[in-house]
Amino acid sequence: MLSECFGDPQARTVAGWKAVGGYEGIARALEIGREATIDDVKASGLRGRGGAGFPTGLKWSFMPKTSARPHYLLCNADESEPGTFKDREIIRWTPHQLIEGCLVGSWAIGASHCYIYLRGEFFESTNVLARALEEAYAEGLVGKDILGSGVDIDITLHVGAGAYICGEETGLMNSLEGRRGEPRIKPPFPAAVGAFGMPSTINNVETLAAAAHIARHGGEWYRQWGTEKSPGTKLFCVSGHVNKPGNYEFPLGFPLMELIEDVCGGIPGGHALKAVIPGGSSVPIMDAEDCRACTLCYEGVEAAGSMLGCASVIVMDETSDIVKQVRRMAHFYAHESCGQCTPCREGTTWATRILQRIEDGRGTEDDLDTLVEISEQMTGTTICVLSDSLAMPIISSIEKFREDYLALIRRGERVGAA
Amino acid sequence: MSEVRFRNPGWAGNTGEFDLSEADVRGTEYVGERMLDGGHPSVAPSLPYMFVRKEPDAPLFEGPYRERFDKIRSRYPTARAALLPALNLAQELRGHISPETMDEVAGLLGLSDAYVRGVATFYTMYNKRPVGRFLIQVCTNISCNLCGADDVLAAFLEHTGTELGETSSDGNFTVVEAECLAACGFPTCVQINSRYFEDVSVDDVPAVLDRLKREVNKGF
Repeated sequence: MLSECFGDPQARTVAGWKAVGGYEGIARALEIGREATIDDVKASGLRGRGGAGFPTGLKWSFMPKTSARPHYLLCNADESEPGTFKDREIIRWTPHQLIEGCLVGSWAIGASHCYIYLRGEFFESTNVLARALEEAYAEGLVGKDILGSGVDIDITLHVGAGAYICGEETGLMNSLEGRRGEPRIKPPFPAAVGAFGMPSTINNVETLAAAAHIARHGGEWYRQWGTEKSPGTKLFCVSGHVNKPGNYEFPLGFPLMELIEDVCGGIPGGHALKAVIPGGSSVPIMDAEDCRACTLCYEGVEAAGSMLGCASVIVMDETSDIVKQVRRMAHFYAHESCGQCTPCREGTTWATRILQRIEDGRGTEDDLDTLVEISEQMTGTTICVLSDSLAMPIISSIEKFREDYLALIRRGERVGAA
Repeated sequence: MSEVRFRNPGWAGNTGEFDLSEADVRGTEYVGERMLDGGHPSVAPSLPYMFVRKEPDAPLFEGPYRERFDKIRSRYPTARAALLPALNLAQELRGHISPETMDEVAGLLGLSDAYVRGVATFYTMYNKRPVGRFLIQVCTNISCNLCGADDVLAAFLEHTGTELGETSSDGNFTVVEAECLAACGFPTCVQINSRYFEDVSVDDVPAVLDRLKREVNKGF
């Protein structure tokens, strides 16, 4: 559904997108009305694809119904979670899929202006989206009186300047307003006080793209795929040690091992599986045992001890150096911490130093206890979840791959090559 | 189109193989020539270019750039919100954002110098000092790292004869380490000015650099 037109340059144009049923979703949404559109999305059970999995219809229904103040829809296209590369594909192959999704979302929440916050590195995909948006304006699909409905919806492309934290919803709002991308304390929640102090909703690219299809076909239609708690299809980004990495769209609930072994052609060189990070770098690491029965839906991955996040499956084979990779992740979070909260600013840096010391063969067994202690202090103590995001891989890696750490600490032996 | 192997279509795994040209994948034909004045106001705040040519003394802003700046301002309810796009625009022209540039942008938007410095230094993509004609950003985050990104970074440094973050003596190349570029399925991902080069292996590095050297005078 979402990925049907990936790889077809024709689908980038308005004509090409309309040829596959594009812009029928917004036409139907305008016809059935705002409330019915939200009801459709609620009935579909669509959950936010940016990582948290919050029900989209419910989020939309939080927006005030009778306020005279302007409402804003913000599309989060600041894709930067390590392991995730799905939104860029949607934007560069099917820009109109996203534009239509933004129109549906804006209509549903009563916004007359939508900002698409793109990460600054996406020059090429931003150019494709910009061209598509100009085309959509010229065709009367965006702007004043869209599709002759009397409704005005503007869309503006806004690009960031390189900060992972701007993918956090309130950090994104601050960045859009021309501030440092520091997350805000909640409450107030964005639906009450969001961008420019006005009621706002933030949705991920994939969420809005799916909403366009739901608007076209209705909520029940979407439930033909997936599970009761995780309806619909999802783009799985598979990276790391597999023969055929890439984006694969499957119904939620797809078995993890089937994705790795069959769809992605298994692990190169006949190596054995060591670990999988199932939802982007911010979730607990799973060992091979956890993976065996894991199904890729929100509840399935949770049962296996981790989180689906944005379904970014990072596969690590037996040659992987877990300590080095966790240290690399820690370095990333230390670099990207905005520095507002002490547990995060200090914790991510301390953790990086300790992990580096262990990697260099100068660690002690006490260091492992210290790492766990710091990680616990980094959990639930800050404005946003950036520090929790590092705590989870640290704690889970020490729990599941303690031997790898001990080999370095006791004997200076590095386990794995990469 | 070029001898640099171009293997990334993103969706390759889905079909097993592909026969698209580089232009198809990058969408360059569809995009066509982007206008310096920013085109439609709705897309003016996006950043279409990172040029080979940098003009550190270019005025802020004149001609088509002035038009683009005015279009940007028209898209936000506050002047402050135009700050990031305005800094992007300044960097597009000048190649980097010096403290003086920050102050000039502050003046244009009616913000204090100190405020703009605080914001500009928060973001990684603003080059705080001059960079080479090609800024080579090698992702070494987890997915690329598992597949040998550290070696690719070392190869870029070796073949350009530079240290990390320094500019080669001919002024062509600055090589830096980047955080995840969101192309994890195609390691190693390297962003060079505005373009992504994906599936770059150690062996590909000389060919990529040769291509860039030929493009020095093309201006994109």
